[in-house]
Amino acid sequence: MSEKILQCRGIVKEYRKQEVLHNIDLTLEQGKIYGLIGRNGAGKTTLLSILSAQNPATSGDVLLNGEKVWENSRALEEIFFSREISPNAVGDSSGLRVKDYLEMAEAYLPKWDKNMAEELVELFHLDKKKKTLKLSKGMLSMLSIVLALASKAEFTFMDEPVSGLDVVAREQFYRLLLEEFTESGRTFVISTHIIEEAADLFEEVIFLHEGRILLKENTQELLEHSIYVSGRAEEVDEAVKGKEIHHQEILGRSKSVMVRLKEGETLNQTQGITLQPMNLQKVFVSLCAGEEE
Amino acid sequence: MQELLNQEKSIYLQIKEMIERDILRDILLEEERVPSTNELAKLYAINPATAAKGVNLLVDEGILYKKRGIGMFVAAGAKEAIRKKRREHFFEDYVKAMLAEAANLGISKEELIEMIAWNQGGKENE
Repeated sequence: MSEKILQCRGIVKEYRKQEVLHNIDLTLEQGKIYGLIGRNGAGKTTLLSILSAQNPATSGDVLLNGEKVWENSRALEEIFFSREISPNAVGDSSGLRVKDYLEMAEAYLPKWDKNMAEELVELFHLDKKKKTLKLSKGMLSMLSIVLALASKAEFTFMDEPVSGLDVVAREQFYRLLLEEFTESGRTFVISTHIIEEAADLFEEVIFLHEGRILLKENTQELLEHSIYVSGRAEEVDEAVKGKEIHHQEILGRSKSVMVRLKEGETLNQTQGITLQPMNLQKVFVSLCAGEEE
Repeated sequence: MQELLNQEKSIYLQIKEMIERDILRDILLEEERVPSTNELAKLYAINPATAAKGVNLLVDEGILYKKRGIGMFVAAGAKEAIRKKRREHFFEDYVKAMLAEAANLGISKEELIEMIAWNQGGKENE
């Protein structure tokens, strides 16, 4: 099987004259887990819904191996976006049950793995007869996870899969995801606000900020290149001169700054400054803060 | 192989060092298979590519070797090689930091030597 590539080019999305996605170019390669990180309202859900052709772009194209995916059922067999399930959404006022969702998935998803779905429903103790209106936030997330994993779609997108889950269920999900990933090599894009817990799952991270892609990079390389420098202000300034810096903060004589090194660049440790590694959450906050200044 | 990961350094370096420690402690023996990158990934809930990066560093150093179709194995002489490497890095990794902190605090070389000698003496008396 040749490597599949899902690509979007020049995606713009307007809602009522307001542009929420600005000219997005993105390439997703088969066999990776991507983390999609962004603040509330950054456009994560909109982007995922456009990539999966659940929502039309105002302009721009989404291509699977060069073929447009819009109204292309062959391409769409490979892509599934498991949305957050909100029972108040239009069309669900009649009170669908868990089993109705599973039956719909079976009907619509060509690669649906019924056995896997049954196992996961049992593992999560989901009551199939229960109306989704009566499910807790965590239970709804579990149902959404079942749909995503059992869809077996080559490109599977999950929007906040762990929201509302307790810590034990979250860790259970991360392991399930890795199990499925190591066995199948499917491609996952996962958005989350609980960045630190999931950071090590992601081969690459995509930072989306105010409708633009701020960065898409290998997670480990991004972390290695991100350094928190602090110490006496003049010495910090001297150390970071000529480097890409973000999120400076000054307190009296001391100063801290995030440095993002380019390939091959290094920072010199001097007596008066402290260099520290950063975690993904801190890197994200520093980069966003820089954009908002 | 079961240590907790922390945020102080790259995950793949931690995986690498953990395998080294397990070899030093005879938890992993020479000519024995080490867990696969998928096993490591599932155990630590990390991306398999990250686990592979750590394992591959050890392959490059000749500590592990690959048996095609079977997996990764601890090389003969790996334990001694790790000890040798760590001895070579001991000054850089431990002594330098100690000397820098000693200088910050105004602790003299004589005082340092005395501390080391005292610690060793203490152990003998136990």
